[in-house]
Parts: sequence; structure tokens; C-alpha cells
Amino acid sequence: MKTINHKTIIWLASLLLCLGLMQESSFAQKDKKADKKEVVKDADKKVVKHKPVKNTFESIWIIDNQTVMVPVKKTFEMDIMHRFGVVTNGYQDFFGFFAPSNIRLGLNYVPVKNLLVGLSLTKTNMTLEGYGKYAILKQTKGIMPVSVTYFADMAVDTRNEENASFVNSTDRLMYFNQLLIARKITDDFSAQVGLSVSHVNIVNGYFYEPGKFKGAMHNDHFAISFSGRYKLKAAMAIIANYDQPITKHDANNPAPNLSFGLELTTSAHAFQFFLGNYSYITPSRNNLFNKNDPSEKQFLIGFNITRLWNY
Amino acid sequence: MKPTKIFSIPLFIAIAVFATGFVYQDKKPWPVPDKFNKMTNPVATNADAIKDGKAIWAKHCQSCHGKNGLGDGPKAAQLKTEPGDFSLPVIQKQSDGAFFYKISEGRDDMPSFKKKIPEQEEIWQVVTYLRTFKK
Repeated sequence: MKTINHKTIIWLASLLLCLGLMQESSFAQKDKKADKKEVVKDADKKVVKHKPVKNTFESIWIIDNQTVMVPVKKTFEMDIMHRFGVVTNGYQDFFGFFAPSNIRLGLNYVPVKNLLVGLSLTKTNMTLEGYGKYAILKQTKGIMPVSVTYFADMAVDTRNEENASFVNSTDRLMYFNQLLIARKITDDFSAQVGLSVSHVNIVNGYFYEPGKFKGAMHNDHFAISFSGRYKLKAAMAIIANYDQPITKHDANNPAPNLSFGLELTTSAHAFQFFLGNYSYITPSRNNLFNKNDPSEKQFLIGFNITRLWNY
Repeated sequence: MKPTKIFSIPLFIAIAVFATGFVYQDKKPWPVPDKFNKMTNPVATNADAIKDGKAIWAKHCQSCHGKNGLGDGPKAAQLKTEPGDFSLPVIQKQSDGAFFYKISEGRDDMPSFKKKIPEQEEIWQVVTYLRTFKK
């Protein structure tokens, strides 16, 4: 499988960011003139407040990646995420519907403004995750061209020793850190770039010479994701993701991920249905160990359902 | 008394009671505190406010109240309370503050939105938008 040169990736990400900033700059010029008019007109009224743009995304998820969105304070959210088997076996397992699947159940809460914390359990390796997400910056017309959010996740393989053997308990741990930068480019179109580093405490090793031993993979893995959402109607949007590994390992290099689908939203729910390559759901495991290659058409069907309650 | 008369009265009562189950639990007055009745909409009625209000309406209100506020949303039939036809003068004659109060506080089938939409400006934008339903 091919991996894109990491310099190309950084160039692409920088180009996207520059395009976004240039657009904001041109809007800012127009806004400055418009704002000036408003200030003159409203001189005897209260100062006009600039508020962040709304609804860059309508869910905290965009298929397998987080978005910059953090729900309002005191929101409680439940996530159900399901990934079927790959479609390549055709009718034999009914395009993956009857193949072994992966499921994740998650609970999230926003205790203070801009901070989301959560816990989840995923079927693969009975992975228990604790995670947090903080909205650092919010896109605001004329002031801030992008929204920036930081996401951190710690995953623990909680299988008992009958099903998995670990020399040390810390061998069960994996970490994922991601910086998300997004922009609502038009009322209907939002785009996001995510830069991530995954860390796994233990990797498989091999003897490359008698008595000399090294890891088949690095413990740290860098990747970049590109996500987009285009609104077709008020409550319906097309969503898409591309995740590209950056770090090159000696062996077992993960495949990239291409996913695309449909999102339906209501007041309290978001439903996402899609085709993609990532099956593990746990972000560090997806980025480090994905073997479903889009060039081999190893896609699987999946869905995410989120339900919000406000207290 | 003839058997038909014996059965006709309780039958009539049974039908009447049964039929009321299909009638919306409605028309009970919804008093609005004076403080809210006197409030004026601080959001200017312009294209941006209507556009923003429409987006919030589509997400939070449309499923019950319908796309054009006629009370014909897909969930309307499940409600015990009629969502109301917002195009009618009897509904539109309410003050902006009364709409703001009812959206914020809710009652019975109508949820309270003050926590789901914590920005008061956004609730006022919905009020601005629903004024466009007026015939």
C-alpha cells in the first residue's frame, strides 16, 4: 500500500489552512467596512457582540474522527457506534452484515463550557477508553478564522488473562492526542483537519540479527485526517473523512482510511451511516493497526447514533 | 324498557368517552407572566435573523410544529396537545415575549428549550422566524 510523502501532507494541510485564512481575511475586510457602518449607526446603542459561528458540525463525531464541536454545558450524551464486517465477501456474509462486527458504547458529559469528558467500552479487545475534548478557539466572523479543539484519549485493553497475556499491566495502554482545526466555509460546507499522535506502550518485536532485537513498529505514530460535511437539507448532510498515516514503520504499516456517508440530525439525535475502512473505532487502534485498504476496496458499513439530553 | 334502549344509552356514553381520547388535550389557557408579555424582541428583523431562526426551527421545532408552523410535523400525531397553527391571527396576536416565554419554559408536550438553547438571542431569532408564518 502507498503512503503519501509526509512533506506533501504538511504542504496540503498548510494550503488548506492558508486558503481558509485568506478567505477570512477578505471577509474581514468587508466586515470591517460593514462593522464600521454598524458602529456608526448603533453609536447610541449597545456594542454589537461578535458571536462564534454556529453548527460547524452537528455531532461530536464525523464517522471515525471527533469534530471540533463540544455540546453546550450540562449536556449528557450517549453514543452507539457499530461497524460491520468488510463487504468484500459479498453474499457469503451478506456484504459484512453477518460477519463479526465491532461495537462501542459511550457516555459523555459537558461539565463546564467547552469541555467534554467521556467513557466508552468497545468490543474489540474489550477496550475501555477515557477521553476529553476541549474547544480552545471558536470561529468568529472577523475575529477568528477557524475553530480549534484538542482531543485526548486513553485506551485500556481490559481482557482477562485467559484471553490476552500482558507481561506488565501498562502494556494494556494506548494513547491518542489530536488537534482539530475546522472552518465553516459556507452555510452548507464545513471542513476540518486533524493532526494526531498515537502512542502504544508495547509493540511486537523481531530479531533482525542473532541476539539483536527491535520493534516492528515505532511506539509513536503520527497521522493526519481531512474531514468534510456538506449540508443537503436542514437536517441532512453528506460526510466524508480521509485519514493518512504519516509515520513509516519497519513492518505492519497501517492502511489509510477513506470513509463517506450520510448524516441525519434532529433536536436530540444525530445518525450517521457510512462506508469506510476503519473497523476498530478506538482512534489509536484505528490509526496504528488498520489493515483494511481502500485501494483493495476493503470497505465496511457502519453507523453512529448519538443522543443528547440537556440538564 | 326495550333492550335497544337499555344498550343505546351506555353505548352512547362509551362512544363519547372513546371519542374524546382522539381529541387533542387542548385549548387550556397558557398564562404568561407580565414580565415576559412586556418584553420586546431585541433581535432586529432582518434576513440574517430570519435565516438563523429558520435553521434553529428546522432542527428543534419542525418535527412537531411542521416546516411552515402549521402544526403538521411528523411527530404531531403522537402528541396529546395540538401543536397549533402559527399562521392564524389568534396565535400571532401573542406578544414576542409570550412566544419567548413558551419556548423557554415549555409545558406538557412542549419541551423547555432554555437549556438546549442557552443563548437567549437564538430563542429570539426563532420568535423572529415564526412571525414569518403569519398569513
